[in-house]
Amino acid sequence: MPEMIACFKWVIDEAYIRRGPEGELDLSSVNYKISEYDRNAIEEAVRLREAHGGSVIPVTVAAPEAAKGVKDALSRGGDRAFFIADEAFHDLEPSQTAAVLAEVIRSRIPHDLILCGEGSGDLYAQQVGPRLAEHLEIPCISFVQKLSIEQGRLIAERKVEEGLEVVAAPLPALVTVLPDINVPRIPGVKDTLAAAKKPFVTVKRDELSGKYEAHLATLLVRATQMERQCERFGTQPEDVARFLESLRKKGAIGQKGG
Amino acid sequence: MDFKLSEEQELIRSNMREFAAKHVDPIAAEIDENSRHPAEVFQKLAEGNWLGIPIPQEYGGAGADRLTHVIAVEELSRSCASTGFTLSAHVDLACTPILLFGNDQQKAKFLTPMAKGENLGAFALTEPGAGTDVMAATTTAALDGNDYVINGSKTFTSNGPVAGTYVAFAWTDKEAGRKGMSAFIVPRDTPGLRVGEHFKKMGLRASQTSEMIFKDCRIPKENLLGQPGQGVQIAMTTFDHGRMGIAAQSIGILQAALDEAVQYSKERIQFGTPIARHQAIAWMIADMATDLAAARFLAYYAAWLKDQKQPFSKEAAMAKLFASEAAMKHTTKAVQIHGGYGYIKGAKVERLMRDAKITEIYEGTSEAQRMVISGNVLR
Repeated sequence: MPEMIACFKWVIDEAYIRRGPEGELDLSSVNYKISEYDRNAIEEAVRLREAHGGSVIPVTVAAPEAAKGVKDALSRGGDRAFFIADEAFHDLEPSQTAAVLAEVIRSRIPHDLILCGEGSGDLYAQQVGPRLAEHLEIPCISFVQKLSIEQGRLIAERKVEEGLEVVAAPLPALVTVLPDINVPRIPGVKDTLAAAKKPFVTVKRDELSGKYEAHLATLLVRATQMERQCERFGTQPEDVARFLESLRKKGAIGQKGG
Repeated sequence: MDFKLSEEQELIRSNMREFAAKHVDPIAAEIDENSRHPAEVFQKLAEGNWLGIPIPQEYGGAGADRLTHVIAVEELSRSCASTGFTLSAHVDLACTPILLFGNDQQKAKFLTPMAKGENLGAFALTEPGAGTDVMAATTTAALDGNDYVINGSKTFTSNGPVAGTYVAFAWTDKEAGRKGMSAFIVPRDTPGLRVGEHFKKMGLRASQTSEMIFKDCRIPKENLLGQPGQGVQIAMTTFDHGRMGIAAQSIGILQAALDEAVQYSKERIQFGTPIARHQAIAWMIADMATDLAAARFLAYYAAWLKDQKQPFSKEAAMAKLFASEAAMKHTTKAVQIHGGYGYIKGAKVERLMRDAKITEIYEGTSEAQRMVISGNVLR
């Protein structure tokens, strides 16, 4: 019976981000949520457990405020969780997240399968899954939209540029999932209440042996401004000419002969 | 002093928000237009234990507190006030009196399937000649051997056409005055009970409302809820709970009105600038947001008192009064902000304004709430 880890990230719910007067991001009244594709990862682990037994262990690396996210993950079907929490874990970059996850998973969480979302809702760097697989020296299957375990092997359908690719891998393995793989359930009231009683282990930074320094520095984050303009054109040939001229003036298409 | 909701309450709120956005928003205009009960939504609500949030797990509920239930009604009503109210009427008006006054057998037989969402509940008190004046009711229940025989008619029974279990009120001893009315649990399929036609209403159209006609309707004595003569007390206690539900529904309507007003006023350009930049509109929105916050604090406080096992009757009446009047006032403003577009069918604010009106009327009119509140204050 497979032991399955579902990695998730507690991200800002983008619906609450506002644009400040200088174009800065106003995060003063944001809510947080489990990153969308990571919900698919948890759901897929729960589905596999329904089919094959085993257990589902949600794991996250985050600041201590993400405790609510751990409950959320448990309410979505996790059996027990690992919460790698420290004030220093605000805004980790993907290489740090992957390295921290690798240390904790290698030393403390026996596993047959690790599921991650294809990318996170905030950065969408798509790096944590593949980096984590490299650290653990296990196969990584990305862009997965269908997954099953057959005779102890993983069968995964990957969405690739020119169609579908079906691959098999021995366990243990790591899979990054696309949102098409399933529709995550909305937890019921009892699921949420029960989650508060499920066990979870908190791992502090000073329990880790690695240093995990950052390599990137964020210099500036600015909101883009989208301007909407509306002009009406008719359907006569001269209207079409006027329409094209208007697009050229706005720089939406190139100049004639350009 | 602590204004923070628990993590569970916050998660349950966002889960209900997601549920409502996914399953209710897409059909809200249609069920309003067609006056249709969304049975498919209630099936899903049952699966998520949303139909018995404050009912203990031993009776089929989720076993959460009253505040959690209030939050869920609010979020559901934000998408569709009819759906939010149908849930509230089921839990607050039908499950709650059985939970508070029923015996173990009644809880096992009637409350448990209701809290699981296997059938909906309804509360049958109001009569054609008896609204706020409960004592003017004429329906009677006469003891005959091991049965009560109920005769009379009820009206404006919310959930009447779709319920499986009714909590109904009738005189067992008219001479005894306030101590002469009793409450009964009446299953839908009881011979002699006829559910009248679904009323066509101005608003809250997807909530099903009907007459109930009892003609020699015979129910076993064990379906008496509480003691003989306890009916008025049961009704009043039930209303205390129902009023928190109506406050929650009103808050949901008000939040939706604010959401719509904010979005539209930022997009609508007049005199070269979004109308939100015009002070006349900005101040309407300021008042709306302020009353919403006040209404929410009143309702959450009433629910918190209930959860602390403290008296909450006055606070529930205040919450209902304030929230319902604020909902009516500000949905009108939200239509005003939308101008002509807000007066057209299909505009959400048009539905919100029609839905808001009933909150000032049912489960005690605003005038009745003022009677309750002044009675408490002037004691």
